[in-house]
Amino acid sequence: MNQALVETRVLPVPKAPPRWYRLKRQARDAMLALPRYAALLLFGAFTVFPFWWAAAVGLSSDGSLIWTFPAAFLPNEPSWMWFDRVFYEMPFWRYFANSLLISTATMLLVLLLTIPCAYALSRMAFPGRNVLFVLLLVTLMVPAEVAIVPNFITCARLGLLDSYAGVVLPNVAGAFGVFMMRQAFQDVPAEILDVARVDGASEFGVMWRVAVPMARPMIATLAVFTFVAAWNDYLWPAVVLKERLMMPLAVGIFNDLTGPFAVSTNLVMAAIVLSVIPVVAAFALTQRLFLSGGGLVRR
Amino acid sequence: MAMPGVHPRTAYLFIAPFFVVFAVFTLWPMLFNLWLAFRDYFPQTGNSMWNGFAHFVELADSERFGHALKNSLIFLLLVLPLQIGALGLALLVHVRLPGIGFFRALYYLPVVIAVSIAAVVWQQVLRFDGLFNWFLESVHLIGFGEQPDWLGDRQLALYAVMAFSFWKNVGYYMVLYLAGLQTVSREPLEAAQIDGANAWQRLRHVVLPALQPVILLCTLLATIQALKAFQEVIVLTDGQADTQTALVYVFGVAFYGHNFGLAAAAGLIVTLVCLALAALQLRYFGEDGLLRRGGSV
Repeated sequence: MNQALVETRVLPVPKAPPRWYRLKRQARDAMLALPRYAALLLFGAFTVFPFWWAAAVGLSSDGSLIWTFPAAFLPNEPSWMWFDRVFYEMPFWRYFANSLLISTATMLLVLLLTIPCAYALSRMAFPGRNVLFVLLLVTLMVPAEVAIVPNFITCARLGLLDSYAGVVLPNVAGAFGVFMMRQAFQDVPAEILDVARVDGASEFGVMWRVAVPMARPMIATLAVFTFVAAWNDYLWPAVVLKERLMMPLAVGIFNDLTGPFAVSTNLVMAAIVLSVIPVVAAFALTQRLFLSGGGLVRR
Repeated sequence: MAMPGVHPRTAYLFIAPFFVVFAVFTLWPMLFNLWLAFRDYFPQTGNSMWNGFAHFVELADSERFGHALKNSLIFLLLVLPLQIGALGLALLVHVRLPGIGFFRALYYLPVVIAVSIAAVVWQQVLRFDGLFNWFLESVHLIGFGEQPDWLGDRQLALYAVMAFSFWKNVGYYMVLYLAGLQTVSREPLEAAQIDGANAWQRLRHVVLPALQPVILLCTLLATIQALKAFQEVIVLTDGQADTQTALVYVFGVAFYGHNFGLAAAAGLIVTLVCLALAALQLRYFGEDGLLRRGGSV
């Protein structure tokens, strides 16, 4: 090689720009972004105003201003009295515990059933695989609500009405989760799985020790999606459960608020705020998983 | 795809637990619906009787079902604003700016809140003497004494429910479009800019074609969601004020009229409409669809 043509001069490492310069640039970028921030805030207001208002109303001990436009968005004579009343008037913690039980059971069962199924569909060859695949695909295109009537009859026959099992079981084997997990397992390189097989791991061992750890982000996403969907499900639990003390928050609170307690808007809004807080907290902690699009869109 | 050492029996063991539950609670309802649609079903005894196409004839004559179907089709109009709104929002938050993550999360928030809980608040907002009318009055869009009853007026209630549905779901599609936008590579965009394409031309001829799979996915999901509009209606108006949609009708006929056969027949019609629309969209927004060709939208 001709050494003379290769330039060996060491380039000076560029110094980091001074702090004032960075700040100035950031300030300029922020100025240019002002119209965008205005639009962001405007739509943010549209998104959040119902709950802002609900919180303000729930905190107002004096309910006379809750309908007047700007005044209603700040609490009038703030106090916790309506929140105390919620715990006194309805079995809030019982509903909460029911929601927790139903959502956790749904989530665990979904993972337990979906992971091996998706693993087999993406990583094993067997007769009938394509047929099962098409079946799953078709059920995605069909409105699940149509199944409510037949499932109600099935649950009645199996003696599952008015039971937690009846609420949970119909929601644990959906095509959606299988497609999500299948995508994740397909991204695991085949060589790694084959190495584990050659080393004598059982197929279950390969899945559990190799594929599952590699698919962890998607598993977390599926878990959170399922949990929130179960927490928010209104219709099916409302159909299955007649016993008030077994109802989850979404059903119990709704029934109470549109029935006996509909008289006081302040009380209703306080209950709304209390029931939304756990969801918002859970969402704040896991929002990354939601905002990634849930694996529906390939990166 | 040769898989050394994996016996089909192992695979069946892996999928069996899922497919048992799937068969009972997802496949069986579809088949049972199909069977039930042609029979008279007596819920007390569990007996049933073949009645040919009597249910379908009854549905064809039923003014209520016709109305419900019409409302469901009106609900379909929501798909377009929902997609445009979601894409617009996605473009709005597809930047690196301080605080942008907060806004993305904020816009998604209505999606994770139970529809029943959100509906209680919106009922109060949209009441005759509710917050929204007070707002309209304070900016002088309506005068005193002419406040519309958004959820009680037969002309307005369905559109009010659709507005609620927009608020509740737009964040969901925004996230999907955002994930799609992040897959659009910079080079063609920069090339288009150098070639003098304006913002709209770049959107139309670079971004939208690249987003084609996402647009297909989102319109499919939104169409199914609109056709099965149901929970929103139940919790906001309970089907009053001419807001009954096809599935509200199914639900009412089954649980209040105890006519499971008729409900199944109506459900079957909704299912068929869903499948037909899905096929149509695969044709128009699929790989060789409208967006991938150069013509105007």
